Amino acid sequence: MKQEILLGNGAIALGLLEAGCQVVTSYPGTPSSEILPEVIRLVKSENLNTYVEWSTNEKVAMDNAFAACITGKRAACCMKQVGLNVAADSLMSAAYLGTKGALVIIACDDPGPHSSQTEQDTRFMARLAKVPVLDPSTPEEARRMIGVAMDLSEEFRIPVILRPAIRVCHARQSITYGDLKGNEKKGSFEKDPMRWAATPRYRLILHGELNKKLQEIGKKFETFSDYNFHTLEPGKRYPFGIVAGGVPYAVVRDILIEQDRKDIPLLKIATPFPFPEGIASTFMDACDRVLVLEETDTLIEYLLRDREKVLGRLSGHVPSEGELVPQVIHEVLSHTLNELNIDPLKGNPDPVVTDLVKGLDLPVRKPTLCPGCPHRAAFFAIRKSRPKAIFTSDIGCYTLGLNLGVVDTCLDMGAAITMASGFYHAFSQDGVDQSIVATIGDSTFFHSGTAGLLNAVYNGARFILVILDNLTTAMTGMQPTPALGIRADGSEGKAVSLERTVAGCGVDFIEVLDPYDLKKMNEVLKKAGEYVKEPEGGIAVIIARHPCLIAYREEAIPVRKNVKITDDCVECNFCIERFECPAIYHDPELGRTNINPQICSGCGVCLSICPKGAIVEAA
Amino acid sequence: MKTINVVLCGLGGQGILFMTKILAQAALRKGYDVLGAETHGMAQRGGSVVSHLRLGKVQGSLVETATAQVLLALEESEGYRNLPYLGPGGGLFVNTSSAAFPREEVRGYLAEKEILCRGVPATSIAVAMGAALSSNLALLGYFSVFAQEPFNHDELRETIAEISPDRFRENNLKVFDAGFDRAMEEKRA
Repeated sequence: MKQEILLGNGAIALGLLEAGCQVVTSYPGTPSSEILPEVIRLVKSENLNTYVEWSTNEKVAMDNAFAACITGKRAACCMKQVGLNVAADSLMSAAYLGTKGALVIIACDDPGPHSSQTEQDTRFMARLAKVPVLDPSTPEEARRMIGVAMDLSEEFRIPVILRPAIRVCHARQSITYGDLKGNEKKGSFEKDPMRWAATPRYRLILHGELNKKLQEIGKKFETFSDYNFHTLEPGKRYPFGIVAGGVPYAVVRDILIEQDRKDIPLLKIATPFPFPEGIASTFMDACDRVLVLEETDTLIEYLLRDREKVLGRLSGHVPSEGELVPQVIHEVLSHTLNELNIDPLKGNPDPVVTDLVKGLDLPVRKPTLCPGCPHRAAFFAIRKSRPKAIFTSDIGCYTLGLNLGVVDTCLDMGAAITMASGFYHAFSQDGVDQSIVATIGDSTFFHSGTAGLLNAVYNGARFILVILDNLTTAMTGMQPTPALGIRADGSEGKAVSLERTVAGCGVDFIEVLDPYDLKKMNEVLKKAGEYVKEPEGGIAVIIARHPCLIAYREEAIPVRKNVKITDDCVECNFCIERFECPAIYHDPELGRTNINPQICSGCGVCLSICPKGAIVEAA
Repeated sequence: MKTINVVLCGLGGQGILFMTKILAQAALRKGYDVLGAETHGMAQRGGSVVSHLRLGKVQGSLVETATAQVLLALEESEGYRNLPYLGPGGGLFVNTSSAAFPREEVRGYLAEKEILCRGVPATSIAVAMGAALSSNLALLGYFSVFAQEPFNHDELRETIAEISPDRFRENNLKVFDAGFDRAMEEKRA
């Protein structure tokens, strides 16, 4: 046995390899991004032959894993919760078809939300697709659950979802683990078109099979005493009890132990669907009132089906949005105990310090693009060149172009392009000539940009599309993109040209440039603007290519330029507001704008932005 | 055994995760169960970043307000922002060069809760050692003088030596030692 302090995502990776998972696919997204890299680290250190890949998107990841699992292998695909929306088409169908080996879908939720568009609850996706879901409370439990999920998937021939929330994924815990296994089982495919290519008539039969499987799994979950358990004493009645799952279980368990509240029984439900009715009924029968603590929605609360006894979000006792952090659960519990005339909790939070901190007027820390980020240069040029445009954008570091006033919309992956075409048609229908500039990152373009671009070309939309190509997937931790020809494990793959992909979508105007060259970028934007309006014109694509400074420390700034601000500075704040480089700041001692040499990357882009020419190269 | 709660905070890019890792590894070496919570994703691009560390038989990775024994802040405002986490009698260690630290408004509260409060010019210390980005290690070196069970100076130093990547090891230790020396000087003065 070995011990390591691992991120929850590392514990999940361990669980996958302990369970002999042979194929792991993923598309990065917080909080799931580290699972695949951790699998790869372990695969390399133990010299295993597990197949891993960064897929181009989550649906692609799931389809690939599904094919592997119907050869009898153990497969997993990992994604963030909104990634499961992209893969939903695959999931809903796979539930009916069933598996042969094992398919475990790891979809990581983000209550908060800390780094997502929604706080959606993957347990409801499991309910919708009719597949079992396991809800771990800690990294260690997530690790153990992977093996359980694999066995369950194989036994019942059904995909199984593991739903770790961000406090599992990004918790760090000391983990002890056993032997890891690689590709041990040979795959084979037995043709069975009535299953694997089922038509609607057979789908009805498969639906019936699926419903039977769920009934059996529900019964099986009753026996999962390591995961679903309560602290009731036999024969005793309680005025109040708590039902909890996932991370809120861990939090409330700690509070009850810390406060020595043996008078409050706790039921943990780690398999919320199919619902373990038996253990839930036992608990409900013993308690007069029950408070449900779960993230982020109301699955357990719905499934308990008792409007009189159950307190939770529907009764207004638990907040319906936001993360259930310890102090929120403490407050919910205090309030509920008070309402039910039960002994209060000790040590309620001191409102004095909260008010004190509020009164300090602390600066709001917005995330910003890094010093030297090539996106900043591109955004600056876009705003200068097309100030009146609608700026549709997308998901990645460059969403921070918001701060520079060059991001007006951000809907979902790929929507920079689809919304640009949508805007075009909505305005052109009225005879209005509206300038539109879409920005999308290289990885996001490969994820879901092509279908939208092809559609926009086909349907005659006109706009400028700037692909912000920093040669990596920066926001989620520098995963390679298909254009690099480097695969997830660092081995060589075939590079897919971004230019040729764009051309393949039917685009005739493609210019590649380095956004650090603001002058050139301005020229090309002007040309692109003209092309969009020409009778024979169409969509103009500019690939603004410069390596990300975090991923490519050396290549990104080949020659460092030292910059300084001269007395010509009139403190107009243009650079601070429009360029928003963390290295440029107002220096109260100097009484003017200054450059922090410790933060400055030396990119030199700011040399050409000052209206007064006050930013100059230092000796 | 009482649970030990530590909160570390600052801005994305200041090395909060590495500082947390050092404390976690040092505690693991002494046989503690270690559980922590980290900030990843968008906030790492210069936003407010908080990291929680809990030692003991707990399952929740987040520290509840008013229960932390130690609050380490790599930036002064972030230190105030996270002050509600610090419990009575706790220790507050803040990277700041402000002569007015701690701000007037919080002094009464710190005294009332008997909080030990120390401001450390960790960035200047790191810059003086030629390692501008290592203020985290300077702050940790300073803290090591005040550290209580399970943390102590020697073991924190050994842990840094153990987990630093080869090319940063020497520098990391140098900056840690400079932070330590600073606290020792203050003690002697």
